[in-house]
Amino acid sequence: MAYHFDFIAVWEYREQLATGALHTLGLIAVGATLGVSLGTLGAVSRAWKIKPFDKIFTVYVEAIRNTPFLVQLFFIFFGLPALGVKLDEWTAAIIAMVVNLGAYSTEIIRAGIQAIPRGQIEAASSLAMTRAQIFRHIVLRPALQKVWPALTSQVVIVMLGSSVCSQISATELTYAANFIQSRNFRAFETYITVALMYLVLAFCVRWLLNKFGSHFVNGRKTT
Amino acid sequence: MDLVRIDAVHKHFGSNHVLKGIDLRIGAGEVVAIIGRSGSGKSTLLRSINGLESIDDGQIEVDGEKLTAGQTDLRALRQKVGMVFQQFNLFPHLKVGENVMLAPQVVKKMSRADCEPIAKAMLAKVGLAEKFDAYPDQLSGGQQQRVAIARALAMQPKVMLCDEITSALDPELVNEVLAVVKQLAVEGMTLIMVTHEMRFARDVGNKLVFMYQGKVHESGDPKELFANPQTPELQSFIGAIN
Ligand SMILES: Nc1ncnc2c1ncn2[C@@H]1O[C@H](COP(=O)(O)OP(=O)(O)OP(=O)(O)O)[C@@H](O)[C@H]1O
Ligand SMILES: [Mg+2]
Repeated sequence: MAYHFDFIAVWEYREQLATGALHTLGLIAVGATLGVSLGTLGAVSRAWKIKPFDKIFTVYVEAIRNTPFLVQLFFIFFGLPALGVKLDEWTAAIIAMVVNLGAYSTEIIRAGIQAIPRGQIEAASSLAMTRAQIFRHIVLRPALQKVWPALTSQVVIVMLGSSVCSQISATELTYAANFIQSRNFRAFETYITVALMYLVLAFCVRWLLNKFGSHFVNGRKTT
Repeated sequence: MDLVRIDAVHKHFGSNHVLKGIDLRIGAGEVVAIIGRSGSGKSTLLRSINGLESIDDGQIEVDGEKLTAGQTDLRALRQKVGMVFQQFNLFPHLKVGENVMLAPQVVKKMSRADCEPIAKAMLAKVGLAEKFDAYPDQLSGGQQQRVAIARALAMQPKVMLCDEITSALDPELVNEVLAVVKQLAVEGMTLIMVTHEMRFARDVGNKLVFMYQGKVHESGDPKELFANPQTPELQSFIGAIN
């Protein structure tokens, strides 16, 4: 008995899909901005051994990189209320993404910082620049530039990973998929559609970050 | 009046006693060449003068700014001491002009409009006015080193430290850098340079410091010392070079 594909049954839910995709994009936009900022702080603390933050970030990075994202999310959403911290699903989702990306980008950016030749930092010191000034003007841009492709990949990974936020009823793209297939019972059509949407989103995010990278991070036209 | 006073400075790297009580007086406008074998502590001494290496004992004073053991806030001192390195150490993501203007803007909080003429004047002084908008990797080694000199000069230091600034250069590029240093000397800049260019030390320098095993072993007028070294160590050092 041949299966009859029925994508109309998915198309009928286009509004939910569009909203879900937008929410996923929103999640990663906020999550990536805050996560990479957190990672930058973590990276400089660890690379330059700024006490006591270097130790704190070391523990944090190990804790996050060695536990599943789903468990981190559940802990924040279901676990923290035990301490009186009640968060709505979006806040919990964003915190989980920031915390997760923050840990991975700490390690990625740290590699970039450590690749800056020592002599440049000494030259800047000899010009009487402070550590903060050196970081901002000498280290940050070349360090991000060096690791931008790795950072971009990590952001895409976290965006795809955000699909588990459907588990706490954040109405992102996977939530929409689950909702739709529970109504139309068209699992194949629904999930292949959503998979393609993720693919397109991933390409868009990559493209955007590449553009952003060559404009603001490189700051110099590569010939 | 001495511009630079170095008193009983000691420095250890772990158990390695690298500077063993250095005393040195340098007057304004003096051109001092530091020579000595590899490992004798020349770079360590130079780097101590602007706090790139901390000292364990003694005191360094530059134009009234004191530096002692364990001191961490060195910005006032460093504004008076420029340094040029063997490896140029230009900032690769910044244009030549930006390399020169960065410290005046960031450290002295000068506006870009105020910095630009200074930067252009310093680049002109090293013969690179037309490279203002170039990136460092578009320049030859000799040009990069001249930009590094301009970058240090833009902070209007009282003293310039030069650590083997021609050692990383191809031989044909050495002279263009030495010519710039010589010009600075003529204009009255106080220079302390570690160098292997003995002829330059003799012809341009007005003080020679021979370091040996972490101490100033012999010092004085370069022409006299080269012609008439007092210690066997300096004799053999000069002999080994000629
Ligand atoms: N950062 C450091 N850590 C440990 N030891 C060091 C460090 N820098 C220098 N030393 C040691 O200190 C001693 C003096 O080194 P320094 O670089 O001052 O010598 P130098 O006279 O400049 O030699 P060269 O002519 O090779 O440049 C050497 O034994 C060196 O190994
Ligand atoms: Mg040296």
